Amino acid sequence: MTIFHSINNSASALTAQRLRMDVISSNMSNVDSTRAKLVNGEWQPYRRKTVVLQPKEGSFSNFLNVAMNRQDGVAGNGVKVSRVVEDETPFKLVFDPEHPDADENGYVELPNVDPLREMVDLISATRSYEANVTVLNASKGMLMKALEIGK
Amino acid sequence: MKLFSNTISTLESALNYSSTKQKVISQNISNVDTPNYKAKDVSFKTAFESALNTTIAANKTDQRHYDFKGISQRRPGITIRKDTAYNHNGNNVDLDKEMSDLATNQIYYNAVIERISGKFNTLQTVIRGGK
Amino acid sequence: MNKISIPAASQIFQSNNTKIMPSSTPYEAQKSFASVLKNSIEKVNDAQFQSDQLTNKLAKGGNVDLHEVMIASQKASVTLQATIEIRNKVIEAYQEVMRMQV
Repeated sequence: MTIFHSINNSASALTAQRLRMDVISSNMSNVDSTRAKLVNGEWQPYRRKTVVLQPKEGSFSNFLNVAMNRQDGVAGNGVKVSRVVEDETPFKLVFDPEHPDADENGYVELPNVDPLREMVDLISATRSYEANVTVLNASKGMLMKALEIGK
Repeated sequence: MKLFSNTISTLESALNYSSTKQKVISQNISNVDTPNYKAKDVSFKTAFESALNTTIAANKTDQRHYDFKGISQRRPGITIRKDTAYNHNGNNVDLDKEMSDLATNQIYYNAVIERISGKFNTLQTVIRGGK
Repeated sequence: MNKISIPAASQIFQSNNTKIMPSSTPYEAQKSFASVLKNSIEKVNDAQFQSDQLTNKLAKGGNVDLHEVMIASQKASVTLQATIEIRNKVIEAYQEVMRMQV
């Protein structure tokens, strides 16, 4: 648990939120992509992606120090993106016989991306990012103040 | 008479490490969009081997054998960072990590400078005898 | 046989009293002053050593808090300066005494 432990935690959160943002932007840009993957000779549309966030485990030295009473507790090590999973909800069916990818009934399968939901996730990711930047600045301010002891 | 203790040489190595890290961070940040650029990092351990004073002498069985090279002047090593994800253009600079490393390094540098000037002030006070 | 001898018990009480009341003989005064001086020099050394340990841990990225390091270094510095001032005053007093004309 160095003096920069809290700054490292905040930095891990910033990285995770930025990756989440990248995924959201990918979803938004592919809201109309009908030819994402070739499966069995047929084109499948783009599937919405989401990130799965997981806390980072405390390292072995943290637990050892707690057991040897050199440290009061394990403070946790921040967050990481464990997986990027695809959303399994069914594709949207839109009636459009003129579309090159329409099937024999005239229906086109569009990606299961809901722009409204992506906008909400976007705002959430932005707010998390800003909150973590505030925490990082507060930690940095505390450390700079500690350097002024005795001045 | 040894004026400058081991602590001062440890602090000197720490300052070497910190200034190298600053250069590496600024290079990473300026190359945040360069295709195929791999982010660099400074290896922490090699910066302190001299401070740990592990003076291992080579056990020579013949005059012509080479000595181990002087460890005392080893500069911190610059390596490639391997723990960040790659972009579509082959670049693996994580801007958030670089910015937080910048803040961390600044605080570390200030703290070490503070300590080393404190130690030199102590030496001067003692030499002057409080006058 | 756990007999506490009476002289020994009175010695214990007397040694406590020498801290509060002036000592009876110059020899005792000298001894207590010497031990006070030795104690304070050891304390200065301990404070310096402690501050050194913490500074080394900080430089190598170990398990310390920054305020701990700063406070320990300030304590060491203040203790050292106080001791230097005391030493200067003692020497001044000695020189003053030596200047007295008999």
